[in-house]
Amino acid sequence: MSTLELDDVVKKFGPDTVIDHLSLKVADGEKLVLFGPSGAGKSVLLRLVAGVIRPDGGTVRIGGADMAEIEAEDRGVGMAFQNFALFPHMDAFDNIASPLVAHRTTREKIRTGVEDVARLLKIDHVLSHKPRALSNGQKQRTALARALVGQPPLLLLDDPLRNVDAKLRFEMRIELPRLLADRGATVVYVTQDYKEAMAIGDRIAVMRDGRIAQLGTPEEIYGAPETLAIARLFGDPTINLLDVVPEADGEGLHVTISDRPVRLPAALRAAAGKPCVLGIRPESFHFVEASAPGAIPVEIEAETPLNEKTVTLAVTRRDRELLISRPAGTPAPASGSAHIAVDGAATLLFDKGDGRRIRGADDERRAA
Amino acid sequence: MEHTSTLERVLRGIALSLIVLFFMFPLFWIFLMSFQTNETILRIPPSLFFEPTLGNYKALITGKLDTAAGSLDIAFMKNLWNSVLLSTSAVVLSLILGVPAAYAFARHKFRGSEDIAFTLLSFRFAPPLLVLLPLTIYFQQLGLADTYVGLIWVYQLICLPLILWIVRGYFEDISADVEYAYRIAGHGWFATFRKIALPLAGPGIAAAGLLAFIFAWNNFVFALVLASADKQPVTVAALAFVTASGIQYGQIAAGIVLSITPTLAIALYAQRYLVEGLSLGAVKG
Amino acid sequence: MSHLSLARVDKFYGRVDHGVHAVQNVSMDIEKGEIVALLGSSGCGKTSTLRMIAGFEEASRGTIALAGREVHTLPPVRRNVAMAFEGYSLYPPLTVRQNIAFALKSAKLGKTEVDARVAEVAQLLEIEDILDRYPSSISGGQQQRASLGRALIREADLHLLDEPMGQLEPQLRAVLRGRIKHFVKERGYTAILVTHDQTEANALADRIAVMEGGVLQQFGTPSMIKERPANLFTGTFVGEPPMNVFTARVAGDDGRIVLELPEGVTLAYPAGAFTDDVRRTIRAKGDIVIGIRPYSVRRAESGVEATVAVNQWLGDQTHIAADFAGGIIVLVEHDRTVLEPGRTIAVEIDPAALHIFDAATGIALAHGMELA
Repeated sequence: MSTLELDDVVKKFGPDTVIDHLSLKVADGEKLVLFGPSGAGKSVLLRLVAGVIRPDGGTVRIGGADMAEIEAEDRGVGMAFQNFALFPHMDAFDNIASPLVAHRTTREKIRTGVEDVARLLKIDHVLSHKPRALSNGQKQRTALARALVGQPPLLLLDDPLRNVDAKLRFEMRIELPRLLADRGATVVYVTQDYKEAMAIGDRIAVMRDGRIAQLGTPEEIYGAPETLAIARLFGDPTINLLDVVPEADGEGLHVTISDRPVRLPAALRAAAGKPCVLGIRPESFHFVEASAPGAIPVEIEAETPLNEKTVTLAVTRRDRELLISRPAGTPAPASGSAHIAVDGAATLLFDKGDGRRIRGADDERRAA
Repeated sequence: MEHTSTLERVLRGIALSLIVLFFMFPLFWIFLMSFQTNETILRIPPSLFFEPTLGNYKALITGKLDTAAGSLDIAFMKNLWNSVLLSTSAVVLSLILGVPAAYAFARHKFRGSEDIAFTLLSFRFAPPLLVLLPLTIYFQQLGLADTYVGLIWVYQLICLPLILWIVRGYFEDISADVEYAYRIAGHGWFATFRKIALPLAGPGIAAAGLLAFIFAWNNFVFALVLASADKQPVTVAALAFVTASGIQYGQIAAGIVLSITPTLAIALYAQRYLVEGLSLGAVKG
Repeated sequence: MSHLSLARVDKFYGRVDHGVHAVQNVSMDIEKGEIVALLGSSGCGKTSTLRMIAGFEEASRGTIALAGREVHTLPPVRRNVAMAFEGYSLYPPLTVRQNIAFALKSAKLGKTEVDARVAEVAQLLEIEDILDRYPSSISGGQQQRASLGRALIREADLHLLDEPMGQLEPQLRAVLRGRIKHFVKERGYTAILVTHDQTEANALADRIAVMEGGVLQQFGTPSMIKERPANLFTGTFVGEPPMNVFTARVAGDDGRIVLELPEGVTLAYPAGAFTDDVRRTIRAKGDIVIGIRPYSVRRAESGVEATVAVNQWLGDQTHIAADFAGGIIVLVEHDRTVLEPGRTIAVEIDPAALHIFDAATGIALAHGMELA
């Protein structure tokens, strides 16, 4: 086990700053996910930790030790790559064995080490195959086995499930957390898939433009994203975003959707009269009877199934599009006109100007 | 699109045959010439039918050239050996120097690295005649003129830029992640170069070596000026067949056949290796 | 006669009957106004099928008829088919607007009409602000939308969409799926899309053709493919998370059915849980494979025990994986459920939710109460 600390790390490629004064601490045994769109600097950060590229400033500490003078081969980390990066001229056995071979272990130890991890990842029957004879799933498992075989205290996984099909990806998403927990290693995991991020991470660091935009547990990031941009990165279908100007009233605060008021938490009163963006997750809407309190009339445009959900594209009276999702198998609304409702407490309100979420009183309490 | 009619296929076949004929005919004709005497070669009209003779080859191998004006000693086999020695040494030397340099240029971009690489390539742009005179004077002063070392040095100048540029491209095509993975697995940079970069660029190195060998083999002008008879390669030695009593076409043809045989053999051998190597694939995941 | 009809179509790469048999004896009838998805992983023959319909590949055998005429011998331009390519194939020297309008060239429309239609698809695909840019200066997702626009703007007998949404920005996908479906349906277009993404196929298509190894595995509505998969391949390929699968031996006496799973796990069902037909069929087989969709597995007070291995909350769903019968059983719940790994839960498997397959051939025997 090992801790990882990044302190004010900077990396530039020519005139472009790819890592912009980034600091981060990963606790012993923690699984941290680096999540963000491509070009955010996630993979570069991982390579800085591995030591194959050098930072232009700041320090990287692994297990408390400064890595400035330590070469990649002496850092003792394990890494798996998105493109697998298998050695094409070596068979799967030699690929997996490469970290053991470096440490002058006996042949016997190498063989048992490789076979143990291969059995764990269910590739023990293809150890004599060259990478080109392996299926995508087997390549990915071989790459993972190579990262795990030396029992490294720090594991760096660079989007390892990106290049495998949906079914394998799901299976690995289920298998991986247990595998990692059994090893007890500290893990830094890079992904562009928010579901993977939420499923695997103890904490998620959302990266944008070489900085960490938000760092928190999956619950914090999904439920209380700092900015509109972060809110859009999590959730499938994407969060609904509506331009609104909240109005203060006797009871507190409301916005108008389809000419009907939707109550917002009174704690957000400061936002009254300001141009805002209201974020409503598709699953926060419910279909209701026309007579129900808070019912909002909409026109239904299309119904599309999505995994275990059904997504409805609906239009409000003001021609605004809304996506509404419900568990598959629950009754469909009548086609044409329908009514929906939403709990104001489950919505998110963002400042239209800077995109930051407007915090209510309960947020302040949580922060404190 | 696969809407090809029979007519299209026939026409395409004819066109391809014509091209093959056009390029292969001179080689084929020289091959025939090497088995003929000067008389049959020079008869008019030329004919495909003749009585084959091994006389030309015999003359080259024994070193006795019988012309109308009398018997002449030639050192063709010695020249062939010179060609092999000079070209092979130059290519080996260039590979030893060029491959690590190519790796450095491919993996370590430093200020001015692009300029240095280009300067090296630019040696290839200069016409040989431009450097020939100063080179000759230097070599005479340094005592390198008419020595194997001097010739190999000059030959190596032909090979090195070629190898550097071709091999650099192959190194650049290897995903950096593959090398990173080996480093992270606990191996130093030199082990990574030896165990990962070299084998993966193998086909490229072979191709570059082959090409450089052919260039070196075909060199004429440096050898003509810098080497005396006993160090001359075949390209220069072929001049010996232009004798006082006429041009010995039959022997020239046999000489050509003998001198292209090594390069042809290497090309055929390496081609098989190249195809195998390039289909290694999966370098990029 | 159907609008588009493929009859016993084969595709060989190389010599007929000797080369690679990429598409094997595929027959399909598609009605006017239908959206059909060809779904499968790479190399399954879906793209070859699409290219034969478009005319970029010759069918090695069989016939293809579109709108009442046999088209398999015609060159692509004479088939009246509009296509969006996976690689976008936008013309680099033309702006996005010109690229999209180019598709209307042969229709000889007036300028105002062309402008109006370009504006309409541009709004649909959210590319209004990049209409005057060149393909090289826009992102992959934008290029894909431009390419889609070029296909959708044309009125054609058939619209072919090759991986139409693979590169789209994830945030736009859900809403564009809805809009494109609405657009195609409103105009009564017939469309075929090729995709490896079942989410896309499910969202857009009226019927899905599942392909694997060049063979059409099943052709039916999304709900039919989900509820009545024809074989184990379709059953496990379609559905996210994938179907839970276990081998079983059929035992029991009288009307009772006992399914013996690996590691001593048994599922016992009383008389009447299965219809007589189903019971007879699976009894006769002895060795079967059972499949249960993750959302059909229920947690119960009592039932068969399983040990929670992983609990993953994804914002709107919780995926729970538990060790069960030598494998893993996955449950989906639609709210936040916290179950610590290591906890024992009881799961209940409703016989009506069981998919039963032949262990040897993988062909479906029964779906719940009904024989397959």
